[in-house]
Amino acid sequence: MFKFFSLSNTFIWIEKLTKFISSIFFILLIVALSFALILSPPDYLQGDSVRIMYVHVPAAWIGLASFSTIALLSLANFIFKIKNIKLITKSIAPIGLMFTCLAIVTGAIWGQPTWGTWWAWDARITSMLVLSLFYIGFILANKLIAQEDKADRVSSLIAIFGFINVPIIKYSVDWWNTLHQPASIKLTGTSTIHSSMLMPLFLMFFVLLLYCALIFLMKYKTEIIRIKKKNLKRL
Amino acid sequence: MIQNLISMNGYGIFVWSSFAITFFVCGVVYYKTYKTLKKYESEFAKEINELSREQKTSVIENSKIASQVISSYSKTI
Repeated sequence: MFKFFSLSNTFIWIEKLTKFISSIFFILLIVALSFALILSPPDYLQGDSVRIMYVHVPAAWIGLASFSTIALLSLANFIFKIKNIKLITKSIAPIGLMFTCLAIVTGAIWGQPTWGTWWAWDARITSMLVLSLFYIGFILANKLIAQEDKADRVSSLIAIFGFINVPIIKYSVDWWNTLHQPASIKLTGTSTIHSSMLMPLFLMFFVLLLYCALIFLMKYKTEIIRIKKKNLKRL
Repeated sequence: MIQNLISMNGYGIFVWSSFAITFFVCGVVYYKTYKTLKKYESEFAKEINELSREQKTSVIENSKIASQVISSYSKTI
């Protein structure tokens, strides 16, 4: 079981997985973009500006999911001290930061036609900004602290502490009066979004997840090579 | 129809700029990640090639990763 997860085996299945994702990615991207930009209907209130949702919402979901994964894996790293976990969190962090920033930027662009402003110090938007700061702290701790053990500990603490912000982001629209609308898609209960918009939304989310997987696999592979390069004399 | 698709009833500038920014950033990040991976692969392959014949053979025999990198590097050059 553990042999299956060895760096050598991981390296081989990364190659296979990368090839598979690359082969289906562009077809799915074209289908998803066709639905998002052409085939899905405009909203009865927001008109065509609702199409921004197809990049904004998946970007926010990925930003949140990435940070939750980093926090949970950092907690596991504290307990089990598995080197692979650190490689995974280091590879996920830049992707999560990129999507969190994209969610903020596309949200600002969506805010202008719907709220009449690019930015408001609203609970949801501000908590997303705080999330991006936690990401920056996590990445900088790994880059700037020379001692690997210390960098691991500091970055893990940032991730675990920052995880408190995730439920704040999720429930900010319920706890405070915000400009941001409440959740339309609910895990428990009925979603208030029509299937003609829900399907393209999930399709775009899936395509962006595939993109994340591609970037993650390349970053993970780079990290493995970096370690092997450092230990070349011992091989 | 194309005019409608571009203008999106006056929201075109917001919709298209959101998609353009997203895909531009995704493209740049993909390109940079790919470049970094290739740089590390070529540096690693070069370091292996600089080893003595015996060391090189032992490294390739002992490490699947080294042999994979060497084979993909030799394909690209």
